[in-house]
Amino acid sequence: MQATLTALLAKASAELARLKTRADFEAAKARCVGPNGEFTTLMKQMGAVPKEQRPAMGKLVNEAKAQLQVQLDATLARIGDAEIAGQLGPAIDPTLPSPDSGPGTCHPLTRVREEMCRILRKAGFTVVEGPEVETEYYCFDALNTPADHPAREEQDTFYFPENVRFGNLTKKVPQEKYLLRTHTSSVQIRSMLKGKPPIRIVSPGRVYRRDTSDATHSANFHQIECLYVDRNVTVRDLKALLDYIFAALLGPDTKTRFRPHYFGYTEPSFEVDLSAQHLPKVNKEWIEIGGCGLVDPGVFEGVGYDPKVWTGYAFGMGLERLAMLMYGIDDIRYFYQNDLRFLKQFA
Amino acid sequence: MKISRNWLRQYVRAYASADELKRAITFLGFEVEGVASTGLPPLPRVVVGEIKTRDQHPNADKLFVCTVDVGPAHGGVHTIVCGAANCDVGQRVPVALPGAVLPGDFQIKQSKIRGQQSDGMMCSPDELGLGGDHAGLLLLDPAAPIGQSLNEVMPEGDIVFDLEVTPNRPDALSHIGIARELAAWLHYEIQFPEIKFCGKVAGAPRPDILKNIRVDSPEDCPLYVGIAVTGVKVGPSPVWMQERLKAVGLRPINNLVDTGNYVMLELGQPLHVFDAKKIGGRQIVIRRAAVGEKLITLDGKERALNSLMLVIADESQPIVVAGIMGGASAEVDATTTDIVLEAAYFRPQSIRWTSKSLGLSSDSAYRFERGVDPHGTLEAAYRAIDLILEIAGGTVVGPSFQIGGDRPWKREICVSPDFIRARLGFRISDEDIRHSLEALNLAITGESHPAGGLEWTVRIPSYRADLDRPIDLVEEVLRIHGTDRVPPAPCVGPALVDGDDDPIVIFNRHVTDYLVGQHFHEVVNYTLRAQQELATWVSAAAATELTLANPLVDDQSHLRPTLVLGMLETLKLNQSRGVPAARLFETGRVFMELNGTVQECLGVGFVLCHDPKERAWLARPAPDFSAVKRHMEILASQASVDLAAEELVPVRGAFWGWQEGHSAAAGEMKDGWTARFGLLNLAMVRAAGVEGTVWAGMFTILPGKIPPAAGHRRYQPFSLFPPALRDIALVVDAARHADEVRNLLLKVARGATGASFGVEAVAVFDVYQGPGLPAGKKSLAFSLSFRSPARTLTDAEVNAAFTKIQRDVAADGTISVRA
Repeated sequence: MQATLTALLAKASAELARLKTRADFEAAKARCVGPNGEFTTLMKQMGAVPKEQRPAMGKLVNEAKAQLQVQLDATLARIGDAEIAGQLGPAIDPTLPSPDSGPGTCHPLTRVREEMCRILRKAGFTVVEGPEVETEYYCFDALNTPADHPAREEQDTFYFPENVRFGNLTKKVPQEKYLLRTHTSSVQIRSMLKGKPPIRIVSPGRVYRRDTSDATHSANFHQIECLYVDRNVTVRDLKALLDYIFAALLGPDTKTRFRPHYFGYTEPSFEVDLSAQHLPKVNKEWIEIGGCGLVDPGVFEGVGYDPKVWTGYAFGMGLERLAMLMYGIDDIRYFYQNDLRFLKQFA
Repeated sequence: MKISRNWLRQYVRAYASADELKRAITFLGFEVEGVASTGLPPLPRVVVGEIKTRDQHPNADKLFVCTVDVGPAHGGVHTIVCGAANCDVGQRVPVALPGAVLPGDFQIKQSKIRGQQSDGMMCSPDELGLGGDHAGLLLLDPAAPIGQSLNEVMPEGDIVFDLEVTPNRPDALSHIGIARELAAWLHYEIQFPEIKFCGKVAGAPRPDILKNIRVDSPEDCPLYVGIAVTGVKVGPSPVWMQERLKAVGLRPINNLVDTGNYVMLELGQPLHVFDAKKIGGRQIVIRRAAVGEKLITLDGKERALNSLMLVIADESQPIVVAGIMGGASAEVDATTTDIVLEAAYFRPQSIRWTSKSLGLSSDSAYRFERGVDPHGTLEAAYRAIDLILEIAGGTVVGPSFQIGGDRPWKREICVSPDFIRARLGFRISDEDIRHSLEALNLAITGESHPAGGLEWTVRIPSYRADLDRPIDLVEEVLRIHGTDRVPPAPCVGPALVDGDDDPIVIFNRHVTDYLVGQHFHEVVNYTLRAQQELATWVSAAAATELTLANPLVDDQSHLRPTLVLGMLETLKLNQSRGVPAARLFETGRVFMELNGTVQECLGVGFVLCHDPKERAWLARPAPDFSAVKRHMEILASQASVDLAAEELVPVRGAFWGWQEGHSAAAGEMKDGWTARFGLLNLAMVRAAGVEGTVWAGMFTILPGKIPPAAGHRRYQPFSLFPPALRDIALVVDAARHADEVRNLLLKVARGATGASFGVEAVAVFDVYQGPGLPAGKKSLAFSLSFRSPARTLTDAEVNAAFTKIQRDVAADGTISVRA
């Protein structure tokens, strides 16, 4: 009996050592300790052992069983380890570059636009949009730009042929022409006609001028424009907003100043100059950055607001110009060439 | 417009420095676009010297060693090495002494030149900043005192400012106009030119010189003044007048023409001088041109006139395009002896229209179309007569004519200082306001006290037609107070305003965030594209519908209907520069045709470019249709469009440049949106000069179709019990779409489970075509997931339902269940 046990253990031990997979292990385990296994069969022979030998034999069998279990456990652990090792594969070289692309980037014009919108949202402005194809009413008439104003001439503004109709753009006056908007100020009119004062909006967007492209001109470019309408709005409020915007955008050493100017839709009107010690182009002299003023009473009358009650200011500027200043870009065409070496600098 | 400082000084004590003047002009509201100096700049330690001796330099063929006397105050006689050929003994020349700094930051020191001591430099005009000759020394008047500062013996230079005058300020288009502004800013008195002529005519009328003037078109010409002068002598104008004109960029012609220009630049009123002998019938008629009339203008071009254009004519034909340019026939020439001087006020709109129609502009038209002072006409005419008599001689003869101009100017604005303060938003005293207004000749002529307040009546001069309302005076006060003196203030946000960002803004922000997160690079391309490109890539209709009326250049003549073309161009540019570019996207407006109209739409598009030659140490799967589809589904979902629930149609033919069999479309513009995506036509991409395969997607939606941000969301309860899973493989025609089969299976499954439990998901997990299946068939394997909200499902009930599904799905005979 003892000899049989020893032989059985030795055989199991040799077999277990050769096992490679979990399935083989389960089969071997069944052959050994399963219901019809060799060990089980041997155990069943215990009944035939004389009664006085049973305690000694029982001890022997239990020892053998324990030994076998240890071997089974060790084998399972070994197979488990081998499986994991197989899953892992060889060790990696952490220095190899990832073949995956990324990161994606926002265009610098988007970055500047979003930054301006973020700053203005803090001051209570909401962002609005308007169509890029406009009618003369929204682009000129409602903004106090008379019919014979030079800005409306064909040499400065893109118009559409008379037979073209725009489905989702209604003419205010039947005979007016469709055009590509020359400024985002048209959105002021749309916002005032649509809403009720007080109004505080910022409208970024693409605008068009019939200009020959060069380092500082582009057939389309982008503007961002603010309009605030409320009671008792003053020149000083306008200056305070501009000081806040540019300090928030460019840093606390940024200064603005007003120069008198003329726009049909504001009175008084100003051009805004900028200076900032840390920016190379504006640390020595003032650089013009945009135009602004108090909303002209005539504009309010046109949209049905009583100019005796309502006052307001408007401010507009070119996004390209601002981005060029902020990032030190010297050619506007870089924005529209989209060289990835340029774009990736704004990740 | 160019303004000369020296000219300004005739009217205002503009002794301020160039920088101070520039600043004053700037803050008065006239942007200074350029400052040019003429004449000698201030040059300390540059003095008059006389060359005493000249010897050949011992070590240089082309140099001389001179002794130069610069006077006892500067150390007497200096030795100076000089290379100029004209350094002759006895000449008086400018000498830059050691310590002098010449233009260009050229510092003069004692030095040795080829071994010879040189104590200073004799100067050429170029070295003194006078331009011109570099070769020879500037030779001075032999009487110039030795040792005197060069600035004292040479005339002072001029400073010329190039100003931008805004269209509301035609009154500033003259030296008097700018002088008026400066006088207000600097609080100086202004000195107007003295006018002696007062309209008085000597002797008997001379109809042989000028018989009659008639205005047939008084609405276009409310005032016309004609004055005849006989016995003038044509010749060059005096040097002082020539200098003035040259300083501001005008070429002197003769004393009569120059006088007209001079007075225009002085007072802002354009004038015209006719040779009286060349006026047919000695009659001037101001009328609209007749159809078919022509005129050769002074620039030598023949102008076809029409009946809306105002002309100055003689008895038979036009001789001037009124207010714009004279004709060659009636101009003053060297033989002229009798003249007629014209001063008029023309209706600005008429001049602008004619100038634009003829494509003809001039300094005169520029002023008339902006509006000259209607009450300055006569004064300008008299000023010109003074100058003509002074520099060309002659006698004024009658009859002189003044037609129209009888309406007196009177404009007053009532404004309260409180109103001005309320708009400015800062403290400024009544007195300061009054001073600012009065400095601008805006006299306060009356005072009233409505409701205990203070209100002023302000008189507006005739040259300030731009001032019409109280708000206009706010700017005038601030201009003189100083726009740079608006005090700082905290930025406060008072009243809350309604509304959130526009849904369009939110949509653009979300799709941008998504695509940047998916490693795309945002690009920005022009809206305007070439006609040929649209015809090739899009449709013949787009190439006609989307055109501009007046494109500037051929390759930017049409609105873009898609963003893909711009991105292909970006790919090409980067490839040509050897820059890898794989993933690009753009958002922006695109324009789509619908029922004969053009619709402005929002677009978001992307491209995925795969270069088969690209090498990487670890291969990644190439982009494919499924990747593009997933991006499209997510982009569409940002506009609340569920692409998975929409019918996807494979693209047929060369539709919009998509590759047939490898791209799909969903939605139509009549629904308000379209989605098109897949592989771009390989041949067209190659023809466009882009290497590799390009996958792309384009989602287009009407701005009005973007829903506002979702309102309140409600939580949906979900089952806590386990699902039961079954797989089924269906054999169908190879051409049949998986989505259609899936929808059918879903319907059948829902019917089979009835109300007792639900079908949670039906998903395709395998597509097979090949051995084991009949030809022209494919197998689609689906997993079905069943779940009850209330209990764990039993095998029996799931099996029963599954058996029914297997039977029902094959019911129409087009589908068989694969064993």
